[in-house]
Amino acid sequence: MGEQRQLEVSTHVKPPLELTSVPRWTVEPTLPDADLTGATWTVLAIGPDAGPVVDSWSAQITCARPGAALTVHHVADADAATAALDAALAGARVGWRLMVAGPAHECLQVRAHAVRNEVADDEMTFASTEVDHRVVLCVHCGTRTYASAGIEDVVVCTGCGCNLLVYYHVSRRQGAHLGFKVDAEQLEQTA
Amino acid sequence: MSALDLVVTAVDDSVPDVRSVTLARPDGGTLPSFTPGSHIVVQCGDVANAYSLTSDSVQPTSYQISVLKQPDGSGGSVWIHGLTVGDAVSVLPPRSAFAPILRARKHLLVAAGIGVTPMISHLRSAKQWGRDVELLYVHKPGRGAHLDDIAELADNARLFTTRADFLAELPDTLATQPFGTHLYICGPTTFIDDVVAAAEAHGWPPSRIHFERFGIGALDPGEPFTVKLADTGTTIAVDSGVSLLEALEAAGHDIPNLCRQGVCGECRLTVTSGEILHRDMYLTDADKAAGDAIMACVSRAACPELELKL
Repeated sequence: MGEQRQLEVSTHVKPPLELTSVPRWTVEPTLPDADLTGATWTVLAIGPDAGPVVDSWSAQITCARPGAALTVHHVADADAATAALDAALAGARVGWRLMVAGPAHECLQVRAHAVRNEVADDEMTFASTEVDHRVVLCVHCGTRTYASAGIEDVVVCTGCGCNLLVYYHVSRRQGAHLGFKVDAEQLEQTA
Repeated sequence: MSALDLVVTAVDDSVPDVRSVTLARPDGGTLPSFTPGSHIVVQCGDVANAYSLTSDSVQPTSYQISVLKQPDGSGGSVWIHGLTVGDAVSVLPPRSAFAPILRARKHLLVAAGIGVTPMISHLRSAKQWGRDVELLYVHKPGRGAHLDDIAELADNARLFTTRADFLAELPDTLATQPFGTHLYICGPTTFIDDVVAAAEAHGWPPSRIHFERFGIGALDPGEPFTVKLADTGTTIAVDSGVSLLEALEAAGHDIPNLCRQGVCGECRLTVTSGEILHRDMYLTDADKAAGDAIMACVSRAACPELELKL
């Protein structure tokens, strides 16, 4: 009676990434080989660190397919990359492949744009040069917050100020992590 | 699945060796709607065969199938060719295994011979919904089935009467499809293999290639092996020329089955040990690699003994 029971924090089990919507390349820097099964390629390098990656992809493709129809764009950010993607898609035929290298959060934004344009998963390859930053989509106000954060970290929403848990979910169409209010069940402090 | 008891309301033998049969409920009532590319399994005497539906798919009052007579087959097509108007026919409701991808920007249909049948319901639905569709159809001279349907339903169809003419146009066709196109192939196994290989050579990814096999080539009789039943420890010999399904049935085991040709997926059994020689078209590559399931009607052991859990 009157005994205070302390709820023990349960041992936290992280889900295997392959059972979530989080691509492994957004968690650890990943440099896959070039996709050589295509007929034409658009290769996008986002940021300075992506240069060496696309150079090695270009070498792999031209070695396997001398004279391959390969277009490389070096761009500053995801917005410029999606503009280049739109231009490529306008005249693309089946057999076209998209290969993107850059910071993971920018690759996710390009992937979302490609998914919305019906590019299939087996037509896209991504290399992540950096995985420390995330874009978190607030489920409460819809604002996208860019922050240096890992999964399960808490970031403050730049839209509504909520403390958002960076959850194990990446929206394919939004290209962002889902974030939800981590302290929704705690009483608010009154001044 | 409960069977539908139908009657033959019309037969059409206007194309040599191909019979189109119209089936309806005895009271003329509505039949289950179906997805384009669906088939029904028809009980043809002792054998059950799958045939693509070529008729209208929405709240139909009849089903139509077209069947190529195969005198050397297991007897199903010959049975169909012996039907007359008024005969009773038992069929299983439509099953969809070759549906159009609705988000496709364009649909490229490639068919050979009687493989045109699923394409007819694809064309009907494409016309109804205004989808962009192109058909390539190879058939023997004078043996083209559903040519009048194709003329009515497809604005963009190319017909070929020799494999060489078709193969001459295929590479350019595959190389110039707008991004977002999906490819659908139906015909004899070698035809499907050739078109898939050509598509892959032109950079088509697996997710855009869809095919439906029919009339599988005769499989070789295979090496004899034994199966051990994990529950009882009983062993059963499977001789060369006898399928695993037949051997299990002969030993008194009741195994669910339908097509008996590696297509329908009914006779899937769990394998607990032993290497499998997969010869079916039902299991995915991943299923086959996992090595824990076997289609008993066509597949065999790649080792002296398989252990099964019934």
